[in-house]
Amino acid sequence: MIKNPSHPKKGHIKTRECKFTKAGIEYIDYKNTDLLQRFMNDQGKILPRRVTGTSAKYQRQLSQAIKRARFLGLVPYVADNLR
Amino acid sequence: MSRNYYELTYIISPVLEEDQYKEVIEKFTEFIRDNGGEIDEVDEWGIRKFEFEMDSKSSGYYVNAYFTSPGELIEKLERALRIDDQIMRYLTLKYDAKMMRHRELQRKNAVPTVFVEEQEDDEEDED
Repeated sequence: MIKNPSHPKKGHIKTRECKFTKAGIEYIDYKNTDLLQRFMNDQGKILPRRVTGTSAKYQRQLSQAIKRARFLGLVPYVADNLR
Repeated sequence: MSRNYYELTYIISPVLEEDQYKEVIEKFTEFIRDNGGEIDEVDEWGIRKFEFEMDSKSSGYYVNAYFTSPGELIEKLERALRIDDQIMRYLTLKYDAKMMRHRELQRKNAVPTVFVEEQEDDEEDED
C-alpha cells in the first residue's frame, strides 16, 4: 500500500518515528515525570505505541519507568477527569 | 565479591520534624557505609506532594541516593527499610551498563532531551 503511489490513503499516513531513538536516549529515568506524563493520557494511562510511535524497545522501558514512578507516587495510577 | 552500582529512593513519612528527617537519612547513609557500601551521592528532594493518597497521607519526604556496594548489602538494607516505620516506600535499582552511561551523561548534565510535538496530543482523544 505504501509503495503504491495511487493508493487513496497515501499522504494520509504519517510516518512516525520513535522519540527516544531520535533523541539518542539509552535509559528512561522514572524520576523524569514531565517526560513520562507526555506518554500518558489525562486519566493516567500509558499511551499505546500506535499513538506515540515509540519503538517496542523503548515502549518496554517507558512502561517500566512509568510503573516505577507510580509506585513512588510521582505519577498517578488513575487520575479523575474532573479537575 | 562483586560490587555494583545502585540507586535507592525512599519516602519518609511527613509527620516528622525537620531534624528528624536528617536523623533518618543519616541512619541509612551510615548503614550503607558500615556494610561495605560507598556513597556516591545523596539527594534530598524534600517534601513533595503525592499524585494519589498513600497510607492516608498526601505528601512525603523524598530521598534519592546513589552508591556502590556488594550485593549482600541490598538484602540487609531493604530489611532495615521495611522494618522502619518512618519509611513509607523504597525502591532500589541495580544499574546496568546502559543505566551507567545514562548516569554519566546525567553527571555532565548532557542527557539528550526528548522532543514531543504538541499536535500529537490532539489525536489521542479517541476514548
